[in-house]
Amino acid sequence: MWLIRASVRRRGLVAALALLGAVHGAVLLAGFLAPYDPAEQDRRHPYAPPGVAGCEPGPCPVRWFVRDAAGRPRLFAVDAPARIFVLGSDQYGRDQLARLLHGGRVSLAAGLLAAALSLGLGWIAGAVAGYRGGWLDAVLMRASEFFVALPWLYLLFAVRAFLPLEVPPETALLLIAAIIGLAGWARPARLVRGVVLSAKERGYVLAARGFGASHFHILRRHVLPQTVGVALTQAALLVPQYVLAEVTLSFLGLGVGEPVASWGNMLAALAQYHVLVSYWWMVLPGVAMVPVFLGYLSLAGAVIESRDSIGL
Amino acid sequence: MTWVRATLFACVVLPAAAAAQNLATASEPGSRGGRLVCAQRAEPKTLNPVLASDIASREVIHRMMGDLVHINRGTHATEPALATHWTISPDGRRFTLRLRRGVRFSDGHPFDADDVLFTFEVYLDPQLHSPQRDLLMVAGKPLSVRKQDSHTVVFETAAPYAPAERLFDSIAMLPRHLLEKPYREGRLAKVWNLNTPPAEIAGLGPFRLKEYAAGQHVVLERNPYYWKVDRAGTRLPYLDALLFVFVSGEDAQIMRFEAGETDVIGRVGARNFAALEKGQGGRGYALRDLGPSLEYNFLAFNLNDLAGRNLPRVEARQAWFREERFRQAVSAAVDREAIVKLVYGGHGTALWGHVTPGNRNWVHPGLATPPRSLDRARGLLKSAGYSWDGQGTLVDPGGSKVEFTIAASSSSAERGQIAAVVQEDLRQVGMRVRVVPLEFRALLDRLFQSRDFDAVLLGLGGGDADPAAEMNVWLSGGGTHLWDLGRTRPATPWEAEIDSLMNRQLITMRVAERKRLYARVQELVGAYLPVVPLASPHVLVGAKTGLGNFRPAVLDHYTLWNVEELYWRGRAAAGSR
Amino acid sequence: MPWLIRRLAHAALVLFGVSVLSFAFLELAPGDYLSEMRLDPRIAPETVAALRARHGLDQPLPVKYARWVASAARGDLGFSFAYNTPAAPLVWTRARNTLVLTMAATLAAWLIAIPLGLWFAARRGGWADRAGAAGLAALVSIPDLLLALLLLMFAVRTRALPAGGMFTPGEAGILDLAAHMLLPVAALVLGALPVLVRHVRAAVAETLQAPFIEAARAHGIPTVRLLWRHALPAAANPLISLFGFSVGTLLSASLLVEVVMSWPGLGPLLVEAILARDLFVVIDGVLFSAVFLIAGNLLADVLLYVADPRIRTT
Repeated sequence: MWLIRASVRRRGLVAALALLGAVHGAVLLAGFLAPYDPAEQDRRHPYAPPGVAGCEPGPCPVRWFVRDAAGRPRLFAVDAPARIFVLGSDQYGRDQLARLLHGGRVSLAAGLLAAALSLGLGWIAGAVAGYRGGWLDAVLMRASEFFVALPWLYLLFAVRAFLPLEVPPETALLLIAAIIGLAGWARPARLVRGVVLSAKERGYVLAARGFGASHFHILRRHVLPQTVGVALTQAALLVPQYVLAEVTLSFLGLGVGEPVASWGNMLAALAQYHVLVSYWWMVLPGVAMVPVFLGYLSLAGAVIESRDSIGL
Repeated sequence: MTWVRATLFACVVLPAAAAAQNLATASEPGSRGGRLVCAQRAEPKTLNPVLASDIASREVIHRMMGDLVHINRGTHATEPALATHWTISPDGRRFTLRLRRGVRFSDGHPFDADDVLFTFEVYLDPQLHSPQRDLLMVAGKPLSVRKQDSHTVVFETAAPYAPAERLFDSIAMLPRHLLEKPYREGRLAKVWNLNTPPAEIAGLGPFRLKEYAAGQHVVLERNPYYWKVDRAGTRLPYLDALLFVFVSGEDAQIMRFEAGETDVIGRVGARNFAALEKGQGGRGYALRDLGPSLEYNFLAFNLNDLAGRNLPRVEARQAWFREERFRQAVSAAVDREAIVKLVYGGHGTALWGHVTPGNRNWVHPGLATPPRSLDRARGLLKSAGYSWDGQGTLVDPGGSKVEFTIAASSSSAERGQIAAVVQEDLRQVGMRVRVVPLEFRALLDRLFQSRDFDAVLLGLGGGDADPAAEMNVWLSGGGTHLWDLGRTRPATPWEAEIDSLMNRQLITMRVAERKRLYARVQELVGAYLPVVPLASPHVLVGAKTGLGNFRPAVLDHYTLWNVEELYWRGRAAAGSR
Repeated sequence: MPWLIRRLAHAALVLFGVSVLSFAFLELAPGDYLSEMRLDPRIAPETVAALRARHGLDQPLPVKYARWVASAARGDLGFSFAYNTPAAPLVWTRARNTLVLTMAATLAAWLIAIPLGLWFAARRGGWADRAGAAGLAALVSIPDLLLALLLLMFAVRTRALPAGGMFTPGEAGILDLAAHMLLPVAALVLGALPVLVRHVRAAVAETLQAPFIEAARAHGIPTVRLLWRHALPAAANPLISLFGFSVGTLLSASLLVEVVMSWPGLGPLLVEAILARDLFVVIDGVLFSAVFLIAGNLLADVLLYVADPRIRTT
């Protein structure tokens, strides 16, 4: 009975890992999988619906494994001047599929980095605050309130003013991850602290302390494992939230500017009334992101469920 | 000879008949009753006409206030309002205005010359810093005002001033009986805010304040003492009430209008307009594209004198920006039609000069409009010593790659989109351009304070149609000469010519001659491109089909400028309205 | 009780710090309230400079701060440049509306999240859990702005609900208010649900594996009772911490939703004030949300204390 349940759990884990692997692989292979460059405008076809555009006189068969005009290999294409837009095109006639795949690089990298950063900081702060208690707890928790309450927007305005206008995309990416990650440690910290507070009062922890176990040992063996659930859940939720947070930074000129694609920018373009009522296919990239975020959620869930069986 | 003709022209007295005839133009007699609901993007900040500087406040205030001479938003010409007629002295410096008799404020108190004197005393008070005070300064000196009799006022300017009576538009006549006491006590800046009881506010406009609910709405009701009557002798306004609801997002505003909760919508974005067009007909509203607005969007390069500012990177790039052929190449490479198509969905107009066709009295019809040509752009660059490297990147005569940034306000979606189009256009001639969206005030800070920018995408215009409103933009030392601020003397001969043309048109009384001078300014701007004009958005508006006399205009208060004439057709059929 | 007093003293200290740093940040940010006026060709730069002096914008930071403190002592909390009136009444009338909305949303979100989370935890791996997870993943990938817009579109298309605002002009009944509140509350709840439900589910799932639950189950205690009476209280600690935080999160989300739904709360006022650099209004708005956030955390700590008396929090 136990065996069957463990394997079911492990199957969930494998499925989630497979999904995420496929997504990240596709994003890494964006240059090959997408037929066009993400910044390439086709002004004859703004807001083209999914399908082949400009196919006159036709027919325009889809060709597989081709080289484009610049000699780069592409998975598929149609002969110029016609164009294939699998997910439609945006306002400037840019291929939405290319933007989705290329944008995924930026957004997933920024989201994962930022989530790791704020989770790491929050975990340490929360564990220390909860376990040590006393003035350290008070200081850390007040600091977290302080951190959340401050008008960061203005600091970002200021940061932007001091930076040179030209921020290369790579630097911008790290900057985004750092800002979002640093700003977000407060919630994981408080959640971890909540768990630690109750964990350290459990009978076996008190017993371990009685036997003279070191604080480090108690934290590692008895307290921190209790926080894995809440921390992983936070991590899975933070990634999508941080992908969206990048939009706000773009507004301040701290994001990845045009013409670089990002999921945040694509979702922001979608959140306009005229787009929603006129161009249904603009929703597709948003829909395509759902399984990715679902993958993270199920990964977190599967890890929590199966951590006894895999010895975490 | 020309001068004599000019003086003769200036001496003409506008007959009183013009007033009566003007009221009848184009408007049909309507029936009274009903209310009009409009959405405002921001709530008004104050009801004090002396201090209001934001659009929302002015939109409400000018429905409650009257001016002496009014610019008809439909014809762009002045027309009699509280002054029935006026004369101008031969030297163009003295205006004698005859006031309308029997006019009363919205609280019933009569209006006369003393109110006018008081009003101008307040507006010109240097302690109050009214945003409109600068409009009343001619040649650096304030207008002087004196009373001839109870219904005649004489104004004098320090120098001849061509736009003359346009000065008086939107200067709201204040009730001396209500405001003199607070003014003498130094409290004028504090009166007439949003929480002032309606009884303490009075004006000469078609409506008066009824109610304000914080963050929600302002209700105005009919001013029973309003002076205008229609052809059929009905006292205006027709509407019983005017309701402004505050709807902050443009999308939400569109939906409210679509849902029929608001009756009029003004300044719709081009893309939203297209979305609304689909529902037209079936939903009981009609939309109108009024053509180009007065707003001109342009790309400006940083031509400031940056000595002593420690901006080596920008200074190095200024060698490109100062090169006329570089700017001309940029202009030739930009696909203005693509901006119109992609950004404005067709509801925009390409520009080669800074005056838009919407300003029909002043636009220079003969201005050259060369189509996009990458070959011409490349030729210009080549002749200026530029070349291309192996990857097709443009290289300047000194061997540096041409790379620069275009800053655009992130609060204007359309300008960001124009920047994206320009960026791709310039890539095709080998320029590596990065678009940097900046929060608006951060952008302004770079323009006016740090001067740390390469190029910027901006829009100006939207004030008055007259070139006098543009003085500070085009004079070398002008406060809004954004791309090159604080010059004491013009940097080039053609800039010197613009300066002299602008100064001359301001004191030239003959309109045809002014037009000729201003056309030359447009030619110079188009040829030397201190800024690269790109496109003008159209004024897009809509209203319920039952709204009579709806005559939107491209000048500000686009939809409500003739609010006193608006009425509901067939009110019985419309039910609640 | 000395604990509570010390806690309140700390809160006051945090508020003081927030106010000082907020002023500093605003000082650092480029541009001020009058920057935009410089763009109007009809206004002379000298006029703008004079206005700047009158508003005290040319004063150094400590002077501005002192002026704000002095005005706070009078109960004005500074002065709005844009509205030309004291800031306190301006902020307060709108803060009330925001409070109404945020409280309702917090209540609704938790009332929905707890049973949903319990249900998913009890049916771990089942179809309900999976479908729920997919739905929540979809919700979490929808930006708040888009969510609010979609709801508004729904209201407009069906004409079932008013398209924004708080009251129909001329009416002020409780039913009218409820109809207007439904959309913004729904937007807030849907935005907050994924985080809340996931955490409830994770916390409860964890305790369901604890020996005492297994034991209780072996004793034949019905599942519903097991979940509500045994698993939930045991899982309460992290959830209580989350509750404290959700108050703050919902408040900041509500600012955005208010703008889209034209709710006359702090949102539209603050968004305008932030972009316009209406200094004191921004500071007051920041402090208001800080108070709210601190109150939420304080409440969470009190609850934590009540729920688990062994814990001696500071």
